[in-house]
Amino acid sequence: MQQEWTNWSGSLRFTPGSTETPSDEEELAQLVCRAASDGRTVRAAGAGHSSSPLVQTEDILVSMERFRGVEHHDPGAREVTVKSGMMLREANRAFLDLGLALENLGDVDLQSLVGAIGTGTHGTGRRFHILSHHLIGGRLVNGRGEIVEFPMERDSEFVLAARVALGALGIFTALRLRLVPAFRLHRREWCAHIEDCLADLDRLIEENRNFDFYWYPRSDEAKLRTLNFPEEDQKTTIPYARCVKEMSGWSGEVIPRQRELRFDEIEFFFPAEAGPRCFREVRKRVKARHRKSVGWRVLYRTIAADNAYLSGAHSRDSVTISLHQNNTLPYDEYFRDIEHIFRDYGGRPHWGKKHYLKAGDLRPLYPMWDRFLELRQRMDPEGVFLNPYLSELLGCGRTAPLHA
Amino acid sequence: MKIIGRTTWAIPGGRIPLNSTGPEPDFTSNEELCILNAGYQDAKVEITVFYESRDPVGPYRITVPAKRTRHVRFNDLIAPEAMPLDTDYACIVDSDVAIVVQFNRRDTSRAENALMGVMAFPVD
Ligand SMILES: Cc1cc2nc3c(=O)[nH]c(=O)nc-3n(C[C@H](O)[C@H](O)[C@H](O)COP(=O)(O)OP(=O)(O)OC[C@H]3O[C@@H](n4cnc5c(N)ncnc54)[C@H](O)[C@@H]3O)c2cc1C
Repeated sequence: MQQEWTNWSGSLRFTPGSTETPSDEEELAQLVCRAASDGRTVRAAGAGHSSSPLVQTEDILVSMERFRGVEHHDPGAREVTVKSGMMLREANRAFLDLGLALENLGDVDLQSLVGAIGTGTHGTGRRFHILSHHLIGGRLVNGRGEIVEFPMERDSEFVLAARVALGALGIFTALRLRLVPAFRLHRREWCAHIEDCLADLDRLIEENRNFDFYWYPRSDEAKLRTLNFPEEDQKTTIPYARCVKEMSGWSGEVIPRQRELRFDEIEFFFPAEAGPRCFREVRKRVKARHRKSVGWRVLYRTIAADNAYLSGAHSRDSVTISLHQNNTLPYDEYFRDIEHIFRDYGGRPHWGKKHYLKAGDLRPLYPMWDRFLELRQRMDPEGVFLNPYLSELLGCGRTAPLHA
Repeated sequence: MKIIGRTTWAIPGGRIPLNSTGPEPDFTSNEELCILNAGYQDAKVEITVFYESRDPVGPYRITVPAKRTRHVRFNDLIAPEAMPLDTDYACIVDSDVAIVVQFNRRDTSRAENALMGVMAFPVD
């Protein structure tokens, strides 16, 4: 009997028709080739940290857990090619061994590297991009079961599509990344009143390498997090805040933290200048309407503009706002209600989190939407990598007959 | 050596007021647990919350260091889950060492604040 698949928060459950764990590229290519000729579909899963049904399938689910390790390293260019199944934590350690690092990280490192790239995962810091920005090439198996190499030098357009691809262009087997020299950071966490934090927001974002805050809706207090190079962090002061925690270490050790308490989350990207107004409106609405059942936090982060076709920060410096709700409590009414505000501010959803947008809503938000779809069609003309959710999300159907 | 307090306490009459008046967090309507640990060992405290129409939720875990007091707002508890406001609840407070437990309610729904403080019921 097939085992039920559950995502991290427990909000998604399904039983795939079969789960495959190919051991190499050839085996994966054959698997996709067979699936294509049998009219079946294939979805690749990472670590199951997404809560949108991107990987949900009743057909073939592929795990890339056997694709591990560094394939190639070019020290001069600071380039590394890794096999695609590496977990983010494992990749961070491997990069550090080579004296390298990703320029930024999100809140946890328990995702797979390829899964994090697949949904445009990001950290915070106005000068730093989503993690996918490091991607400059790699290899994938396309919908015909062909192994395709896509170096930036030859096909920069494809790389921009591949940087946030939702598993719709193919199954990546190798990722080529341009990294930065390894670095250490000093992390501090502060408690303050939200109004003091908002009044000082521009300075906090400007003066800290990484800054974000959590607002707690039932007290109006905020947890501020600052990360700076240790030698530069002496001058950081937040006079109205109380420092409650601090630590130093390599970036991969101090940016991600443990998250034991399970939650569901919705997150949207906004033009940076709209962030404070949007946050204030969300805060007002949460206090007026949702405090009865919502006790957990709202997170505010910043991200630099990039040019990946489906990136939330495509061509605009961005702020993200995300809502958290304990996974044992209802989230739907809360998330839907606040999503209206997010949309009024031109918000683009985080692909890996909850949202209620469909192709018709999404297309106007992404200048390169149609181009992405053309490349998807080229890579996977018969829709081997589509599931019902992706078909609706992207507005493209399968052309092959469904497996009976 | 004198032992001050008990290890199990009950509070039957909880209901966190929904609305607040005035600047927060000072004037947030809240219910609060005040725990005194007068002993020489840290107290590992577990709170289980009971509702009218669903199974109990918990434990919410708090440590109260030796010779210290801790005041915890029920409003702020989020692990394992945030408690609903404006909903009847009761709770049992269990500790591995003797503690003293008081329960306070501050209701700022109207500008005229209402304050109430009672001792929890010592069970053992
Ligand atoms: C506790 C927690 C903290 C988080 N923190 C952050 C954060 O700080 N910032 C942020 O932006 N996001 C955050 N997220 C969201 C998370 O980073 C994304 O949902 C991410 O995509 C999850 O990666 P995964 O490895 O679990 O992949 P999955 O969720 O399993 O898959 C994600 C996507 O990648 C595709 N994929 C997987 N493998 C391949 C492959 N080999 N080839 C092609 N496509 C593939 C899948 O098909 C799917 O579309 C967090 C999530 C959780 C649960």
